[in-house]
Amino acid sequence: MPKRVLVVDDAIFMRNMIKDIFMSGGLEVVGEASNGLEAVEKYKELKPDLTTMDIVMPFKSGIEATREIIKENDKAVVVMCSALGQESLVMEAIEAGASDFIVKPFRSDDVLAVVKKVLGEE
Amino acid sequence: MPIEMSKYLGIYITEATEHLEALGRELVELEKNKSDEVVDSMFRHAHSIKGMAAAMGYEATAVVAHRIEDLAQVVRADRSQLNPELVDLLLAGTDALSEQVRAAAENREAPEPQTILARLTAKFTALTQRSPPPTRVMEVAKQEAKAAATLPAPTAAQPIQAEAPSTAALSSNFQGRWSIRLSVAPTCQVPGVRAFLVYKRLSNAGRIFELRPPIESLRSGRIPDGLISMELQTEASESEIRALVKNIAEVELLSVEAVQSSPAAAPAKPEPAPDGARSGAQDPMRTVRIRTELLDYLLENAGELLLAGANMREWGKGLPGQIRAQFNEGVDRLQLLVKDLHGKVMSSRMTPLSTITDRLPRATRDLARRRGKEVDLVVTGADVELDRAIIDCVSDPLLHLLRNCVDHGIEEPKERETAKKGPRGRVLLGVRRTQDRVVIELEDDGRGMDAEKLKSLAKERGLITAEVAARMSDKEAFLLACLPGISTAKEVSEISGRGVGLDAVKRAVENLGGKFEIDSRRGRGTRFTLDLPLTVSVINLMLAKVSEEVVGLPIAKVLGATAVDSGKLSSSRDSAYLAHEGGLLPVYELASLLRWPAAPPGGIRPYIVSEGESGKVALAVDKLLGQEEVVLKVLPSPLHLIPGLSGVSILGSGKPIFILDVARLLEYGPAGS
Repeated sequence: MPKRVLVVDDAIFMRNMIKDIFMSGGLEVVGEASNGLEAVEKYKELKPDLTTMDIVMPFKSGIEATREIIKENDKAVVVMCSALGQESLVMEAIEAGASDFIVKPFRSDDVLAVVKKVLGEE
Repeated sequence: MPIEMSKYLGIYITEATEHLEALGRELVELEKNKSDEVVDSMFRHAHSIKGMAAAMGYEATAVVAHRIEDLAQVVRADRSQLNPELVDLLLAGTDALSEQVRAAAENREAPEPQTILARLTAKFTALTQRSPPPTRVMEVAKQEAKAAATLPAPTAAQPIQAEAPSTAALSSNFQGRWSIRLSVAPTCQVPGVRAFLVYKRLSNAGRIFELRPPIESLRSGRIPDGLISMELQTEASESEIRALVKNIAEVELLSVEAVQSSPAAAPAKPEPAPDGARSGAQDPMRTVRIRTELLDYLLENAGELLLAGANMREWGKGLPGQIRAQFNEGVDRLQLLVKDLHGKVMSSRMTPLSTITDRLPRATRDLARRRGKEVDLVVTGADVELDRAIIDCVSDPLLHLLRNCVDHGIEEPKERETAKKGPRGRVLLGVRRTQDRVVIELEDDGRGMDAEKLKSLAKERGLITAEVAARMSDKEAFLLACLPGISTAKEVSEISGRGVGLDAVKRAVENLGGKFEIDSRRGRGTRFTLDLPLTVSVINLMLAKVSEEVVGLPIAKVLGATAVDSGKLSSSRDSAYLAHEGGLLPVYELASLLRWPAAPPGGIRPYIVSEGESGKVALAVDKLLGQEEVVLKVLPSPLHLIPGLSGVSILGSGKPIFILDVARLLEYGPAGS
């Protein structure tokens, strides 16, 4: 059974891109969220194997959302999507419980390598 | 196993004091909020103090605490027994306990608390028709504690179930220690974050020692050859450790090896947690109590190290080229380490403001009751942290402002009724943090201040002219209350004294590099604002040469600098003005403000734009020498009496300099004015 993924980003463009990468890698995108609030809701509802999380988003930041998701399930696998120059935010997210991170702009191979590794599929 | 009670004395005093402060706070809270939590918590505090004092052999302390506990139990069973008189009595009991604990701390004989004990006992008997239960105190411990207090030699006592923290658990034998080596892929875009992820995973599994490179370098991605090594003390097995790192991309686990170490060996110094606040709350064993004098000493010496480093750099300028480069590299590394150390020492001195605000509700209640008023104090944001040195300096000013609110601000209940306010007055104490400042606001809903009355009082006393008074804004007029000898109080009160106070508050705040403001509306209330820096000891200075001396102005007070031909200044009568950003700024010779001999050179010279009480000014100096970060030292007596100086420091060159308080210098005006 393919691993189920929740994609969180406030930009549709970015979500679509990530979705395409995941589909090409044999993962199933089961849901999307465009802000931190929605992300937490969707996480609780869908219980995905993996959540990719943008950091800067309206209503609730990706870091805060990660913290809440980890509170909900401390085994949750959350991978941060960050830009270069957001290192300290990513470290904060790691403190909050994020499992790993990918750096924008994405390269399909890199994203899949990180994701498969973090899911223990490699 | 014999237990040496004297070694618990420190922790006894610390903890008992904390319980007593909480007890006092809750008793005040209890009058407003008779919830189960407050009553239960109060009971627990009294109970804890009793237990500790009994174990230490402090009989009087234990018995008084026991009576308070008994009375708390009475209240627990029947809330209706609670009235202001009982709270007064319990507070008096708490005070007596504090006195006992203080006496123990100062190693002196405590006064016998017979009077308060008799009152507590009588109250208990009156309420329950019973005599209070006896208090069990460790007999042997009692003697030993006394001996321990007078004799420096260690003494033995009966075994007692002591809850003192043990450090033994830290070097648990059940944990293995592993030497771990990893490498980060050279293609990794953000090696710092990668490395941090590894660090984080492993530190979740145990404690990390001997981290190379150190965490600060790791975080910032300075990882020579991508190699990371550390020792991990953990309960996890080798395969569990491997599994932890296995699923991290761009990281390769090079080796995991068991480290042979004797359990008796002292554990190596652990790497500091990446974020000081992170582990503290969840793992109490990772915190230790440190005497504040030691922290002061550490800060002082870390500051001296910074200076010594800057000194070496100056000295190195005289070296021949090639040696100088090597020397400078060494000095740079040293300075980096020292700066980091200094920063850590600073952060270890950060203390929540609650250490002083926790006492204020009790103080409010006492003050209000003495004046026949009813006042609630609401504190918000007390968890904001400040340098301990600042906390110490604002403690008295805050108490004074609170007195001012209760005493002069809040009206008597009758007057409040006429003004259509509730009978209970309210004082809000709000603390908030901005980037590098902390703002404390104390606001009452009392009668407010009268700007006109303040102005006419100041005029009467010859402190301001009618002209100045007419020009003054209300906000400026309120600050007149800070002038020595001015007060709007109709009478002298036991609590606030006359006019003294607000001037001391303002001075204390300004000495810390802070700002003090008063805002008020008649009939509505008064707000005092203290705008404070987070830390005191390192500041950025603009250095300038004046009459062959070097002086420093805090960068925060420097709005700009410019060079202008002195012949081209605008002038009207005797005053010169500098055109700056579309306005005209009054020009002052800094030498003249300092009363130093001056021979102003003609031609183009530099001016520093700074801010005085009544707006921007231009300060004429001889030469600008640039910026420097320095360690601020307080002015030793009697230099602190000289107006316009806010501190001293020593430059890298070893030269001592004065740091100027421009606002105060301007207040005194130039020589001959």
